[in-house]
Amino acid sequence: MRIGDFHASYRHDEALFDTRAQRVWLGLLLAALAAFPFVGGSYLTYLACLLGIHLIAAAGLNVMTGYTGLISLGHAAFMGVGCYAVAVAERAGIPFFLALPLAGAASAAIGLVVGIPSLRIKGLYFAVATLAAQFVLGFVFREWESVTGGVRGANVPAASLFGFELAGDRRVYFLIAPLAVLMLLGARNLFRTRVGRAFIAIRDRDISAEVLGISLFRYKLAAFAIGSFYAGVAGGLWGYFFRVATPELFGLPLSVFYLAAIIVGGLGSILGTILGATFMTLIPEFLRALVGWAEAFGLEQAGVYLAPLRQVVFGLLIVGFLVFEPHGLAEMWRRTRRFFHLWPFRT
Amino acid sequence: MTPIDRRRFLGSGAAAAGLASLGLPLRSALAQSGEIVIGAAPPITGVFAFAGAGLHAGLGDWVEWKNGQGGIAGRKLRYVAEDSSYKVDQSVAIFKKIVAQYKPPLFYGDSTGWAKAIAPELSQLGSVLATGPSFASDLADPAKAPYYFMPGPTYSGQIEVLLEYVSRSAAGAAKPAVAFVYSDTEFGRDPIASGKAKAAKLGIPVVLEVVTKPGAVDVSAEVIKLRRAKPDFVIFHGYVLAPIPEFMRQMRDAGMNARGMGTIYTMDKTTIDQMGAAGAGFLGVMPYRYSFDTEKTPTMALIREVGSRKPNNPWQTTFYTQGWLVGMIFEQVLGRTLGAKKELTGPNMKAALESIGKWDTGGIFGVPIALKTHSIPVGRVYLVKGSTIVPNSDWITIG
Repeated sequence: MRIGDFHASYRHDEALFDTRAQRVWLGLLLAALAAFPFVGGSYLTYLACLLGIHLIAAAGLNVMTGYTGLISLGHAAFMGVGCYAVAVAERAGIPFFLALPLAGAASAAIGLVVGIPSLRIKGLYFAVATLAAQFVLGFVFREWESVTGGVRGANVPAASLFGFELAGDRRVYFLIAPLAVLMLLGARNLFRTRVGRAFIAIRDRDISAEVLGISLFRYKLAAFAIGSFYAGVAGGLWGYFFRVATPELFGLPLSVFYLAAIIVGGLGSILGTILGATFMTLIPEFLRALVGWAEAFGLEQAGVYLAPLRQVVFGLLIVGFLVFEPHGLAEMWRRTRRFFHLWPFRT
Repeated sequence: MTPIDRRRFLGSGAAAAGLASLGLPLRSALAQSGEIVIGAAPPITGVFAFAGAGLHAGLGDWVEWKNGQGGIAGRKLRYVAEDSSYKVDQSVAIFKKIVAQYKPPLFYGDSTGWAKAIAPELSQLGSVLATGPSFASDLADPAKAPYYFMPGPTYSGQIEVLLEYVSRSAAGAAKPAVAFVYSDTEFGRDPIASGKAKAAKLGIPVVLEVVTKPGAVDVSAEVIKLRRAKPDFVIFHGYVLAPIPEFMRQMRDAGMNARGMGTIYTMDKTTIDQMGAAGAGFLGVMPYRYSFDTEKTPTMALIREVGSRKPNNPWQTTFYTQGWLVGMIFEQVLGRTLGAKKELTGPNMKAALESIGKWDTGGIFGVPIALKTHSIPVGRVYLVKGSTIVPNSDWITIG
């Protein structure tokens, strides 16, 4: 039974993974991630890629909303900026390892502009401002035909490295998975720095934060730029993954999807980001598999009759989590972990 | 919260693992049986559910009926479908899942977004021929999307049929004027540029273009513009229902005599019925024969017979007919490929598809059709008359 962590040095105290058990599990996780596409098959690799993209985007939104308190309803549009940026960069012959940071930078630049009103307005009022950004950017995607291809969209060539095309799920996986791991680690680290702590201080009480010497304007914009950068990179990966960018892919429902993911997972928590994005990505698949099993067990027409019910169950699951655990899946995970740590004693 | 018991936790895990393993014997049994799998991701729920359920039922019933007839080349068919909810990520996931598990040579998808996302994958796989309910003009391109076809004319083709009708309806030398009203979506904008080019070619003046959002919107300002422009025909595209009835109602109230025209997804009877009185005199293009068509044809009679055994009469819709037609095209592709003793590979099936020419569908289309262009450039203009829809033109072949 574990009763606590003993830190013998500052270096140990500052370590991101401070116990041996954590480091072992992390090593196993990385090994499993590396082996996954070889054992998981095409479908599971596809889901893993999709999840990786959702993780990066949700982490960006959690930086803005969960950690800094800036509710954004325009996250999908920032992803769209990244996706189109990659399409344009590829047309210009820029390789993916430059195109992806460029996509993030383009999105961050737009995020800086959208974030400007955050100095004067906050809460729901600011959310409406970001909603406006969602629609304005959607309009730009549709109308700026020479760049975006208009409503028909733009094709994105496969990412390639020295002539080796990263086409197909397995190859793209090795682009998405390492980036997802790196960006999640980056987000986790961010909140151990002065900048990250400033974000949290602003979220908890902005006036107090300003009194403490934190420049609200600077840090709110920084939060927006970082969150948008994440969205831009996720959008770029989306482009390389689906090989197409159309305005309808980056609409309001996708923004709401990410907001739901971080709320279900746990606001202000990277673990919550991971659990929330995983929940939102995999539960619809799981529910569909249940319908498939019902049909396999002889329930004829189960697909037709149970399919609409699936949406209801998905909605009820989200509401259920919010009602019974407002701190999200991350808190449930922590409680479960604590139980096993302290077993056989009760918490 | 109920505390978690370790035994219960492990028990649940074991149960989940057991449940997950159920798919494995199913797959291996399937591989040995020689069945040909037809995969599908129909949108049974979501915004396209109004059509998705009928499409799913039509294709599923066709497979069932065909198996009753002994299958194709002595091999039974198996229809494996999962609801896509009309979401691109989910329909792509279903495609990957079904392709990985069952290796289907044929697949029925769900949307333009899906088709565009999957086109590179189809080319890369080279083993699956796919189709879906999208008639986006970009997709009917054997060079860019070699393993995709559509079971009807493209949206551009549908507009061409309407313009041919308009051109033929001219009483004198002067051609009637048209206005385009379309939604600000990919679906809505798809055929407009080619439609304007076709109108110019036919000498039809396009007096106005109106772009609106799809759905229930205030159209009074647009109706005033239409009244000033004085078109003889107003072609609506990119909508299913709203705001077409509102346009029609306000155009009548404004004293306009212009005829409204719609495209395939507006012209199903279930949608026309929802227009109520506003739908009277509405014209539209439909590539298929309606189930209630008074001309008796063998395929429509078969659809009626087979479909009537199912609850809720999905066979009465054109969506069901479309699903059934997809099955018939699959049969042609499979029959021609296997008949030539070739493997069911993408190139072989593509060649079989493109070899379909002067094919009699038994009445779904009133003329023999070809699939060389990966679409079926045929349609007929229908008129809403009272509580029914009647043919108002011959079958028009375009291109």
